[in-house]
Parts: sequence; C-alpha cells; structure tokens
Amino acid sequence: MNRRSFLLVLSALVVLLGFVSSVALAQTPKRGGTLRVSYGNKIAHLDFHTAPGYEMMWVAMNVGCGLVNITPDGKFVPDAAESWQMAPDGLAYTFKLRRNAIFHDGTPVDAAAVKFSIERLMDPATKSGMRSFYEPVHSVEVLDPQTVQIRLKHPYAFFMHMLAGYRTGLVLYNPVATQKYTLQDRQQGKPEAVSGCGPFKLVEWVKGSHLVMDRFDKYFMPGQPYLDRVMIRVIKDPVTELAAFKAGEIDFIASFSPEHVDTMKAQVPKAAIMTSKETTPMLAAMKVTVPKDGKPMSVERASHPIFGDVRVRKAVGCYGIDRQEIVKIAFKGQATPWVGMAPPGTLESVNINHLCPYDPAKAKALLAEIGYGPSKPLTFELLTNTEKSVFNIIATVIKEQMTRIGVTANIKLVDKVSWLNSTLQDGPWDMYVEDLLSLLTIDSNGYLSTAYVSAKSSTWSHPRHTDTKVDDYYARYAREVDPIKRKAIGKELLEYMANNMYWNTISGSPFYMVAQPWIKGYVYNAEFEVHFDNVWLDK
Amino acid sequence: MRVYILRRLIGIVPTVLMITFVVFVMMRSVPGDPVVALLGDAYTEEDAVRVRAEYGLNKPLLVQYAIWVGKLAQGDWGNSILSGRPVLRDVMIRLPVTLELILLSMGIALLIAVPAAIVGALRQNTWADYTATTIAMIGVSIPEFFIGVLLLLVFSIGLGGLLPSSGWVYLPGTCQTIICAAGLWGNVQYVLMPAFALGVGRAAILTRLLRASMLEVIRSDYVTTARAKGLSERPIVFKHALKNALIPTVTVMGLQVGFLIGGAIVVETLFAMPGLGTFGIDAIIARDYQQVQGFALLTAFAFVVMNLLVDLTYTFLDPRIRYA
Repeated sequence: MNRRSFLLVLSALVVLLGFVSSVALAQTPKRGGTLRVSYGNKIAHLDFHTAPGYEMMWVAMNVGCGLVNITPDGKFVPDAAESWQMAPDGLAYTFKLRRNAIFHDGTPVDAAAVKFSIERLMDPATKSGMRSFYEPVHSVEVLDPQTVQIRLKHPYAFFMHMLAGYRTGLVLYNPVATQKYTLQDRQQGKPEAVSGCGPFKLVEWVKGSHLVMDRFDKYFMPGQPYLDRVMIRVIKDPVTELAAFKAGEIDFIASFSPEHVDTMKAQVPKAAIMTSKETTPMLAAMKVTVPKDGKPMSVERASHPIFGDVRVRKAVGCYGIDRQEIVKIAFKGQATPWVGMAPPGTLESVNINHLCPYDPAKAKALLAEIGYGPSKPLTFELLTNTEKSVFNIIATVIKEQMTRIGVTANIKLVDKVSWLNSTLQDGPWDMYVEDLLSLLTIDSNGYLSTAYVSAKSSTWSHPRHTDTKVDDYYARYAREVDPIKRKAIGKELLEYMANNMYWNTISGSPFYMVAQPWIKGYVYNAEFEVHFDNVWLDK
Repeated sequence: MRVYILRRLIGIVPTVLMITFVVFVMMRSVPGDPVVALLGDAYTEEDAVRVRAEYGLNKPLLVQYAIWVGKLAQGDWGNSILSGRPVLRDVMIRLPVTLELILLSMGIALLIAVPAAIVGALRQNTWADYTATTIAMIGVSIPEFFIGVLLLLVFSIGLGGLLPSSGWVYLPGTCQTIICAAGLWGNVQYVLMPAFALGVGRAAILTRLLRASMLEVIRSDYVTTARAKGLSERPIVFKHALKNALIPTVTVMGLQVGFLIGGAIVVETLFAMPGLGTFGIDAIIARDYQQVQGFALLTAFAFVVMNLLVDLTYTFLDPRIRYA
C-alpha cells in the first residue's frame, strides 16, 4: 500500500467512524424535557383499581408499577418483580421482588404490598372490574419481604397475562398511603394519596383539563425515566388535536380518531402513526333473552321475541351483514372484516370468517323458513350511541343491508350513558352497534360472555344467552396449560359463539397512536401498555 | 335606588332556586344513571343499588332537592358523583377561564360593533354602510365553531403557530394550578382566537341593533337642535346620540350573556379550554347531577346578576330613568 492509498483508507475510516459515532450518539437517550400528551377523553378518577376508561389506565401504568409487563409479542418482562417461577402443577406462582423498588413516599415495594394490593382487588367492597379474573386466586403468601407466592385454586393459563395486561394489569397499591388517605382523596387525585411505584409521580390533576406527572428519581430502573415531566391534556375535538399536533404543541396523541388518520398523514407526513392488528371488536350485538317476569336482570329468562331464535340471528347477523362493505365505508378499508369473538390482534385468535359469508339469498331463505317475508316483515330496533361517529355510519350501512333482505332496522341514537343503561340493566334493545374492551387474550373477554344463569353472572354479558356450555368452554380453555390443546379449545369456543351468534363481531376496531418524529423509545403495544419510562425527546 | 338594588338582590335568590329546581327535575327525567358510569365494568345491580343509596339518589326528588339546597346554604355544593371531587372547587378553577373568555369576547364584539354601527348610521346607504351591514350579516350567519376552525387554520397552522391552537394558561393572580402564565401575553395568546370566534357573532348582532338605534336617534329633534346650535359633529355623535342609542344595545348585551355561555360550550370544546362550558357539557353527558346543579346555579346567578347590572346601567345612560 503506497502512501496515497494509505491516506485514502485512513480518511474513509475516519469518515466511517464519525458516521457510526454520530448514529450512536443519536440513539443515546437524552435526559430531560416535557412530553406533551393529548387524550381524547377525560380521566374519570384516579382510583386505579376501579376507575373506568383507557385514559386512567394509561396514567396508572406510569404512576404505578406491577409485578410484570407484557411485550407486543406476548413475552413477559420484569416490572417490580425481577424473577418469577410457576409451580409444576400450575397452582402457585412465586415472585422475587426487586430490592430497590419503592413507592413515591419511600415505602418499600415488598411482598406485603403485593398481598395488600391483590386482596384489595379481590375484596367485593372495592368494586373492581378485575375481581372476576382473580377468582382462581386461593391466597397470597408473604414468604419473606422480597418473595411473594400467589396460590391458585386451579390452574389458570392466563394468570400472567392477567397480571401483566388485563385492563391496567396489576397495579400495586401503597399500603401506607392507602390506609392514611381516604378513597375520595385517591379518586380526586390528591398526589400523596396516589402514591405509586412507577417511573412518574403525580403532581397535579385538574379534571377535564390536564394531568401532570414528574420523574420519580428513585425509580427502580437505573437511569429511567428520561423525561422530566409528562403533561397530559384533554383535547376532545380531533380537528383541534390535529391542529395542535401539526403546530408542534403536542408530542404524542394517545388515541387518534381513525376517521382523521388520512388527513394526519397528508398534513404531517413526518408523524409516526402507530397501529397494529385490531384488538378491539366492533359489534352488532343481538339480545338473546329477556326477563320472563319483566324485571330487568331477572334470572328467569324467556327468548327475545326476535333474536331469541338462532335462525333469525344467523339470517340477520351472519349472512345478512356484508362485513367487507362496512369496513370499506365506515373504516375506509382500514379495518379487518371479522366474525370471531376475538379480533385479529388478540392472542390465539382464529379467522373463522368462512362461517358467516355474506349471502343475502340464504338470509332471505332462512327468514322465509321462520315465516318472515312481505306479508310478515321483520322489524327491529338498532341501538347506537353518540360516542363515536363510526357507530352511526355502521348502523346506517346495516340498515341499508337489512333492506336488501327485506328487514327493517329502525336506528335509535342515544348518548353513551343511556346506552350503558339499556345494555347493562337488561333494557329493551334488539341490536346495538358498539366497540367493546380491547382483548389481549380470548380469556380476557370472559366476563363479557358469561352465560346469564345466576345473579353472579356478569352484567356485561349483554346478549344474556343462557347457554352454560359457553361457561364450560371458558373454564376448560382458561385452565388448559398445554398451549396446543388450549388453542384447539379456543378455536372451538370461537366457532361455537359464531355458530350460535351469541357474539356478533363485524370487524376489528382500529386503534391509532401518533407521535412526533422527535419522540424516541416508545414501544407501541396497542391499548394494553402505554409506558413513558423509556421515552426520550430527540430535539 | 338602594332599596331597589336590595329588592332585586333578594329577588335573585328565588329566581336562581327556581332555575336550579327546573334543571334538577329535568336532569332526572332524562334517561341515564350516573351510577352506571361510576361503576363501569364492575357494574352489578346490587352495587348500583348500594351506590344510589350512598348518594341519596333513591330518595324522592323533592327530598333530594331539599338536601341539596340545605347543603348549599352551608356553602357545600356537593361532590361529583363520578370523580368525588368537590363541585365548588372544580367550578372555581374553571370560572376564571370562562369569565375571561366571555368578557373578552364581549369586548371584541363592542370594539367591532360600535365603530361599524356609527359609520353605518352616519354614512347610510354608502359603501361604508353596505360594508358594515354585509360583514354584520356574515358574522350572524357563520357559527362559532366554523369561525374557530378558520382561525385555527390561519393563526395556528398557516402562520407558523402565531397563536396556540388549544389549551389554557391561567392569568397571573387567578392561577389555581401549576399551569400559570409568566405575563399577560402568556395568557392572552390562548384566549384571543376563542374570544374572537365567540365575539364575532355578537358583534354582528350588536352592529345591526346599534346602527338602527343610531339612525333613529340622529334623526331626533334634540340632535337637530344640537346641530342648529352649531355643536360640532363629534360631541353630537359620542355624547348625545350614542349614549341614547346604547340603551337597547345594553339590554341585548345583558341577554347575550346566556348565548355567550351556550357559545362558550362550543368554543371551549373546540379550543380545548378547561372552562365552565366544557365542565357543564361533560356533567350533562355523564349525568353527574351534582356537577350539573353547580353549573346551573352559577350560570343562572351570572345571568340574573348581569341583567341587574344592565338595569342599573340605564340610569347612567339616561338620567331620566329612576328606580324607586
């Protein structure tokens, strides 16, 4: 190598080294700054074990900590627990806690705190929506301050999923703060009462306006979080949200309206629009039974006058609905037409669309077999609510599709609270359009589909079918620890639900998050996990 | 005069109570139950019955109202059913936002209306008059939300973020949260666009009204006399004509407070402002009875007091008016 070649190679190496180091520097998280987040809905209150709504959950995951978290590919990763072990019989889980995990007031996150939190969730007086998922828990034992064992009555295949990602996942409560402050203090967002063990501590919550969280310097993950502050604002109007994002006033939209995604792409081409296979089902639910004695929620049931007959449910809900057309019109093609109870992004979901092909002729024939036709037209009420405009679009398309099979659907538009009243309280509805809770696993839908057989049944089992076989399927499915056998039972369950039209999915309901290009380190995991501990601002 | 004011102030109490009673009955007649939203996915009928009892929602309507009034007399506005937060505290945090919005929008309305009406009246049937009346017509016809969106597009996006698109920063001195402005501009930049969106419609109404009123006054005998006496045009217009022409305008301004509160709901939602308008609409949607009552109480009170102030303004504008 002559001198000239040597210099050339050396220069190239220097340039390469410079490039590599600049890339490395760009990827090194920077500390500091405020992440400005926009929520489309207000936070109801701050008792994490009971408050409804995703908005609260996304705060709970950052102010609070749990035992484990779940990654987008379904792997469990440590949170306050550094390791865990399942007993060979699947009846006990032992968690080893981090020694450096403390709550924001300095109280240690120990085994007693875990026991306290789980027992609080299981207490009927807490009125937690998660209580039914803790039914398999027999007891929580403190083995030593750093070790806690949760014993189960029977194997529960989704126990870890439940702890990690059902609703908020398990959010550990500070026993000292919980006993020192009242439930009202916690609900009202008094910062000392909402003392969690997460990366951010609550500074201020003004209902309907904003919520501020600051970095917790003693968070157990070394160096994290990177942000000084997270400021959450409520912007209900999607157009304003878009304008604020375009003007650079907000960094992160936690849930962006699907109708405006195309506009966002056109207006802010550099925006990172995050989505994945849908995890929330869009339903056209049909009521199967009504109270025999006319008293809402009565355990004495009679068939619903229209949809009590499975043939009508199949004619209308299965063959009479063109899911492709609904997705094309209502979602501009940005959703998946779907029949199964578990949407495509749900673990162990199976595509069973073949069970309900759009076949208006078959629907008409089925209705004629029952006696419906021009001389005896079928008319039903299609309930929808004002929460999302897409519900009304879907209801209108269904109405049009019903006319094609000689059925009249009268749309009734109500607000969300009225809808909740009708559906939760066994009110007089025939069919409704709505999207329900995001599903991590088929099992996480358990309380929505429980058969209405006793006073203990879930009020969220809106169709109120009385088929105990569904409960048996659920029990078998959730207790089966062999993944291959479990998947087979899961498929059977989904097919059974579709064949009986106890659960009428139309499509997935798409979910979008939007981030500015300078937001780094955020890991998208649908609605389940929204964590800002690893987020940093590259600006 | 003092007796009159005292009598009117005493009259406010039954008026406000009557309005709150009507709202109370109406809210409970609307289908929906706040307990359903409160319990969310943990809803069971047994829990719902228990919670209704906790909040006294199972008692007869009149008893519930009497309890509310009784607590109100002790300064307790109750707690939100959904969040548990004291209603008075939430209302007080939001009041300065809406107050500032309404005052500024009324200021903008007057700033536009008074010169436009004067020019329109003095230069009747000229291009200046046609321009003023046309703009007034357009202002009346365009809804607040549309003007708001246009302003957003121009000032927040088009002009590179000259004004913030949404949110709120409290005025120094009125700040009850950690989001406080360092100076006046820090606050004013958040309220300019909403106030303009809300004020334009009001300006249009006031322009038309004041113009008509001015036309009537400048043709009256005393204005002709003043001109005959050789008084210059400026004192004739501003001291004699405008003052008298303002009486019907002031009456309408008082009535506009109700419309402004209604308009504030739309504008606050559009600009994501944490004011009383969004507070009220959220409370109504969620059937949070306690919050709705707080909202109704405050708006009814504001409306009645504003109209009292309007009545008192008459005596300043026209000394012939006397209240016994």
